[in-house]
Amino acid sequence: MLAVWLSGFLGLLQFRELLFLGLGMVIGVVFGAIPGLGGATALALLMPLTYGLEPFTALALSGGVMGAIPMGGSITAILLNAPGTAPSAATCLDGHPLAQQGKAGLAIGAAASANSLGGIIGTMSVLAVLPIAKQLVLLFGPPEFFLLAIFALVTVASASRGKLLRGLITGALGLMISFVGYSDVTGGEWFTLGSEYLWDGIPLVPSLIGLFAVAEMINLAAKGGTVSRSADTVKVTGMWSGVIETFRHPVTVLRGSLIGTFIGAIPGESGTVAAFLSYSLTVQASKDPESFGKGNIEGVIAPEAAINAKDGSALIPTIAFGIPSGAEMAVFLGILVLHGMQPGPLMLMQNQTEIYGLVWALTLSCLLASSLGLLFVRPLSLITLIDADVLVPLVLCVAFVGSYSVNGEIENVVVTAAFGLMGYLMIRFDYPRLTVVIAMVLGNTAERSFLQAMQMGDGDWSIFLNRRVSAILIACIVIMLAMPFMRALVRRVAPRKEARSAP
Amino acid sequence: MKRILGTPASDYLPAAALWIVTALYLQTAYRYTPAVRAFPAGVAWIMLLFLKIDLVSRTKTTRGGALSRWLNHAAAPAHPAETEAPQRARQAVAVLWLVLFAALIVLVGILVAVPAYLFAALRWQGRRSYRACALGAAGATLFVWLLFSVVLRIALYPGLLFGGA
Repeated sequence: MLAVWLSGFLGLLQFRELLFLGLGMVIGVVFGAIPGLGGATALALLMPLTYGLEPFTALALSGGVMGAIPMGGSITAILLNAPGTAPSAATCLDGHPLAQQGKAGLAIGAAASANSLGGIIGTMSVLAVLPIAKQLVLLFGPPEFFLLAIFALVTVASASRGKLLRGLITGALGLMISFVGYSDVTGGEWFTLGSEYLWDGIPLVPSLIGLFAVAEMINLAAKGGTVSRSADTVKVTGMWSGVIETFRHPVTVLRGSLIGTFIGAIPGESGTVAAFLSYSLTVQASKDPESFGKGNIEGVIAPEAAINAKDGSALIPTIAFGIPSGAEMAVFLGILVLHGMQPGPLMLMQNQTEIYGLVWALTLSCLLASSLGLLFVRPLSLITLIDADVLVPLVLCVAFVGSYSVNGEIENVVVTAAFGLMGYLMIRFDYPRLTVVIAMVLGNTAERSFLQAMQMGDGDWSIFLNRRVSAILIACIVIMLAMPFMRALVRRVAPRKEARSAP
Repeated sequence: MKRILGTPASDYLPAAALWIVTALYLQTAYRYTPAVRAFPAGVAWIMLLFLKIDLVSRTKTTRGGALSRWLNHAAAPAHPAETEAPQRARQAVAVLWLVLFAALIVLVGILVAVPAYLFAALRWQGRRSYRACALGAAGATLFVWLLFSVVLRIALYPGLLFGGA
C-alpha cells in the first residue's frame, strides 16, 4: 500500500505534472472567486483540452482545479459576502462580518490555513479509508439518508443563535422551494406555475448568489459607506494572526475536516451540506454561540476545513461506485472516462497510482492555493474600502452575468433578483438565511429517501428505528432539538445560583 | 402606529405574508393525489403551525412572552423602526436600481445593459465624473465580454428586444 502511495506522489513530482497542477490551481482560484462559475464550469471547459494529455497529467490538472476552487470561493465570500461557490456561503456567515469590522486579513488568513489543514486531514482520512470505503458507504440506505438530511436541517436551525423558531420557519420555506420542479418520485412536475424553466427546479447557484451577494449589496447600498464599517480599522496585516487562530482551534479544524470527509464520502451529498453542518455543530459546541454570525473566527475555520476535506473524500463514491457526489465530480467523471478509466471497483485495483496521484494533487493544490490567497490578502482586503456607490454596481454586474452563465438561461437573472430581494427582507426582519439554503440543498434527497424508506418498510415507520445507524441519527436529532431549550434553562438557572452563592 | 395585542401591526407582516404564501402552496399541493402530495403538504402544514406560533410569540401577552423567550429569545424585533433601519427612501432606491438592472438585462441583453447600468449608477448614485463613469462602464463591459464570451465561449444574452428568447 505504501508503495502505491509513494508512486502516486512521485509521479506528481515531475516538471510537466507540477506545471499543469499549478495551471489548474490558478484557474481554480479564479473560477472559484467568480460567483456562478465554480469547479464544474472550470472542469467542463478544460475537459476537451485534457484530451491530448497523458492521463496522469490530466488528473494533475483536474486535481489542481478542484483543490483550489474553495480558496477562490472563500475570498469573495469573506470580502463581499458573495460566495464564489455554493459551499463558501457558510464562510460568509462569520467571514463577512469580520471583513466589516476591518479584519478581512484575519479571516482570509484563517480560511487559507483551515483550507490547507482540512485538505491534509481529508487526504489522510481518504488514504486510510479508501481500502474499506465500500463497506462504510453501504451502511447508509434510504432511511439513513432521510434522517441525515433532517439532522442537518435541525442542526442548522437550532444553531440559529436563539432564533430556533425562525430557523425552523425558513428551513420549512427552503424545503417548499426545493419541491418545485420535476419530481423523480412522482414522475410529474410540481409547483412550476406552468413555467418550463422551473421543471429543473429553482437553480441553487443563482439562488445563492441572490440570497447572499445581491441581498448584501442591497443592504450595503441602502446603508451607504463601505463594506468595512471604518476605513481606519482595516487590518490588512492580520493574516498571520488568522493562521495562528486556526492553530489555536485544533478541535474546530479536526471536527470540520472529519465532517467534510464523512459527508464527502456519501453519494449525492454536497460540500454545501458539509460546510453548513460543520458550521452548525461548531456553534452548538461553542461556549459562546451568540457570537457566531457576528464575526467569530471559528465560524470561518469550521466550514473551510470541511470544504477542502470533503474534496478528497468525494472521490470515494465517484471512483469506487461511479456515483458523483455533485456537479463538479460528475464532470470529473467524464474526464476519467475520456482517459480510458472506468470508475468502479475495478478502477480501485487497476489505476491505483493515478488515484493516489490525484489525491496528492488535490492536497498540493489546496496548500499552494492557500499560499496564493495569503500572498494576495493585502491588496484583496482593500476591496472592503471601496465606496458602496462604486462597489455595488460592479458586484451586481458580475453576480448577474455569473448567474446567467451557470447554464445560459436568462431566467436565472430573474431568480437571482427575486432571491436577492427575499434575502434582503430576511436581513431586515432578522430571519436566518442559512436554513433556507441547507433545506434547498437537502429537500429532494429528504423527499426521495423518505418515500424509498417507506416503500422498503411497506409503509411501516419502524424502519427508521430498527436500523442501528438510523437509531443513532434519531438520537442526534432529538439532542439537537433539545439543545436550545437546555441552553435557555442553563441561562435562567445559572444567575439564580450565582445570586444565591453571592455573599 | 396601530398596535395589535400590544405589538405594532407591522411586526406581524413577515409571518402573515409567509402564512398567505404557504396557504396558496398548500392549496396547489392538494391538486395532487394524496400519496404524491404527502411530503410537501406535510411540510406546508408544519410551516403553518410554525407561523401560527411565530404570530402568537410576537404578541405582548403572557403566552407570547413565554414562546418568544423559549423559541426566539435572540431575534430582533421585526418592526424596522426598532432596529438599525436604513432610511426607507435609500432602501427603495437600492431595490429600484436592482430591479431596473435585471429588467434591462432581460430587455436589451447583457452587453448593452452592463455599460448602461454601470454608467448610470456610477453617475447618479456614485456622483463620479462623466469620464470616470465611461471608463468604469467600458472596463467592466470589456471584462465581461472577454471572460464570458471569448474565454468561456458563453453566448451572452442579446435581450428580448434584439432577438433573445
